Amino acid sequence: MTNDKSLRLIVDGSLVEFFAGDNALVALLRAGLHPSQGGCLCLAGDCPHCLATVDGVSYVRTCQVAARPGMVIKRHPSDAPPPLPVGDCPGTDIIARHIYCDVVVIGMGESGRAAAAEAQRDGKDVITLDAAAGQEVIGIYPGPLVVARTRDGMADVHPHGEIVVATGAAEIHPVAPGNHLAGIVTARAATRLAVAGIDLGRVVAIGTPPEGIAVEQAAGELVRFDGVDRVEAVVMRNENGSERKIECDTVSIGLGLCPRDALLRMGNGLAVRAVGAAARTSDIPACPRAGTVCHCAGVTVDDLESVRARGFHELELVKRATLAGTGTCQGSVCLPYIRSFLADRGESLQPPFTARPVTRQLTVGEAAASSYHQATPRTALDGEHRRLGAQMERAGGWWRPWSYGDTVGEYWAVRKGVSIGDVSTLGKMLVSGPGALELLERLYPTKVATLKPGRSRYVLLLNERGYVLDDGLICRDDKTRFTLTFTSGGSSFAELWVRDWAESWRLDVRLLNQTMSLGAINVTGPLAHELLARAGVGDPPQYLHHRTATVTGILCRVFRLSFTGEVSYELHHSVADSVTLWRRLLRLGADLGIKPHGVEALLMLRLEKGHIVVGQDTDFDSTPRRINHEWAVKLDKPDFVGRQAILRTDKVPLDRQLAGLEMEGPAPAEGALIWKGSDYVGFVTSSVFSPVLGKAVMLGWLKLLEGELPAELTIVGRPARRVPTPFYDSEGSRARA
Amino acid sequence: MPELKLFHGTRIVATPAALDTAVWPQDALALRLAPDEVFVTPAITADIVDDQHAIVAPDAGFAGAWIVPDEALEFLQRSCEWELPLERPAFAQGAVAGLPVKLWLEDDRVLFLVPAPYATDLEERMA
Repeated sequence: MTNDKSLRLIVDGSLVEFFAGDNALVALLRAGLHPSQGGCLCLAGDCPHCLATVDGVSYVRTCQVAARPGMVIKRHPSDAPPPLPVGDCPGTDIIARHIYCDVVVIGMGESGRAAAAEAQRDGKDVITLDAAAGQEVIGIYPGPLVVARTRDGMADVHPHGEIVVATGAAEIHPVAPGNHLAGIVTARAATRLAVAGIDLGRVVAIGTPPEGIAVEQAAGELVRFDGVDRVEAVVMRNENGSERKIECDTVSIGLGLCPRDALLRMGNGLAVRAVGAAARTSDIPACPRAGTVCHCAGVTVDDLESVRARGFHELELVKRATLAGTGTCQGSVCLPYIRSFLADRGESLQPPFTARPVTRQLTVGEAAASSYHQATPRTALDGEHRRLGAQMERAGGWWRPWSYGDTVGEYWAVRKGVSIGDVSTLGKMLVSGPGALELLERLYPTKVATLKPGRSRYVLLLNERGYVLDDGLICRDDKTRFTLTFTSGGSSFAELWVRDWAESWRLDVRLLNQTMSLGAINVTGPLAHELLARAGVGDPPQYLHHRTATVTGILCRVFRLSFTGEVSYELHHSVADSVTLWRRLLRLGADLGIKPHGVEALLMLRLEKGHIVVGQDTDFDSTPRRINHEWAVKLDKPDFVGRQAILRTDKVPLDRQLAGLEMEGPAPAEGALIWKGSDYVGFVTSSVFSPVLGKAVMLGWLKLLEGELPAELTIVGRPARRVPTPFYDSEGSRARA
Repeated sequence: MPELKLFHGTRIVATPAALDTAVWPQDALALRLAPDEVFVTPAITADIVDDQHAIVAPDAGFAGAWIVPDEALEFLQRSCEWELPLERPAFAQGAVAGLPVKLWLEDDRVLFLVPAPYATDLEERMA
């Protein structure tokens, strides 16, 4: 050990010299500083008394980190938690590596080395994790999974076989008044400090003395430690009851050992075993009479008495009632004393409380190591939208263009000219096989058998309770093959729904989800026919028909439908062709004033037509009757999912219904409350100011009053009316043009 | 990491028995995504599967890239929470870096495939 004057670290803003080989705690003690102002030090990573903020990371056990030149240590306040880090926090880009093995051995002392060697002799692939080598295990999880903090980041170790805990035993700390003072150390710590060259002064030993140090042995029962900030004397009680005060500079504590078996207790039900000192039974110290038992949570002997008096006699309950054992050291210091206390009060010696991950404080970066936020998919046209300056938003689970900067202009392009929109996000599924028709007949409330090849039909998807899950189209391709479409946000669930029923009914069908393989562009507006003709489709399908066609040289399935209220064609195509098709359509329609429209314009257009958006205008218990979609349900079919529930609930008087609403002036916010006089009668689900109608149009839930939907209403303090939907082109002549 | 590109191929959904007995072209890579589904790249003709109701659809819905094993395994070690098969070649699929990734592992290269809508995210997470 040498004293190199160039070795300096910074403690609370001041330079402190340290020796090569010092850990941060020894460096502090060498400078006459206690990291946390006081408390018994163990130098073994077991107690909370050497915690400090090191290089910006709080709650670091200074006894477990090597001192480094330039290291910045800030001691925690003695009366409050350390402040939260500000600005850039170190360690936020930490990775977790996944490692697979047969056996993992935690701790590489004598027993750990022996266990590892034995497993290796048996041909096992062994991973060893040793805190002394910077591999600190912080938890064992079902899997099993052993998570360790290492110098290179986090390690997620997945053993196929057993986990061996060889973490040794911790020394028992003292509980007595004054145990918060500086100058108290465990016996092993005293030896290590002496070896490190720390001057301990006059040392008094309680219990087993430290090795290699001249001490004065203090006999009898520990009463208290005396001193102001640092211990100056220890008071012992003799067998005859008299007290003896012994002056000292340091007190060495040798009260026995407690196994470091938290990881063993954490792995309950997993293949975890302890070896060596970690497998020993705990020494139980004398029942504490006064003083702090749990320094992490500030729990005193009086607190234990208090909760016991209130009926908390079980160790686990005492832990919950006092929070003892839930702090930084996870019971390493307090557990033997709480067990001793309860045993002294007439309870049996209770087993240690459950241990749970994590055993050590983690930084946010460590906790988040190699975790990823949920990705939002992008359509093949994502780059095109961004190139056109679109404001992108997450909608229906996808990144979508909310607006290209002129929402009203986009709207009018649809109403008066022609526009294209990216609807690639819609769910798309192929169903084929001899059981396809039966599957769809049983699944949907519409008559699928009457649907001829080349035709499409709007459908609701219901659950067994008759509630609306989703909506979309059924398109018949031939006798045994269909294409289904779903909403963007509902497609994942709808796919599972279809697959589950197909499997439950054991139907001979093939199902292929093409949502992410096919792009879809909606060509809509009065000039859509003209644009398609220019694109090579002079004879486009009729309303609610579909067929395959080559559009600008690209193979597409063309579906005629309408969500906007104008003539609309959905062009489904390979995602490999999306960009080309999009650009060609924009080029072909340039002189027609074509504009792409975003989701905001689309929502305006659909609301004018009174089209619902499932999930926005519907609740979890919306039946077709409640949303005015009884026309989409054919109860004269023998059966379909939800039929029995609809028959049953149809007998119950209608209590509320989705209704069309209008008012003069700007549109109220979606969610606005609807009033009839002073009575609350519902809320707005969709709302927009209609450019073509010159007023606000809405959908909203209304309660029935005496069996009738109220007609004259108040929304945001202004008069509103219930009106039939659609608000625009009620005959549907424009969409069918 | 190389840029991910669309992989053109054929998605086939057919009876498991038909897929079990199908003979794929020698130059094709057939990835069995499910008992009743296979993705074959490059694209193949429809008559290769003995199931008259099979769905055989041209498909460019996956984006992917071949990556050298060291680079691939280094990335997988920190981004894949499940154990990779040891044999080669091998097909595996599951969450990698939080994305639905399919892997084809050969001795001297690894194919990463991801649904095309997640290609940008995978590129960012592999970078």
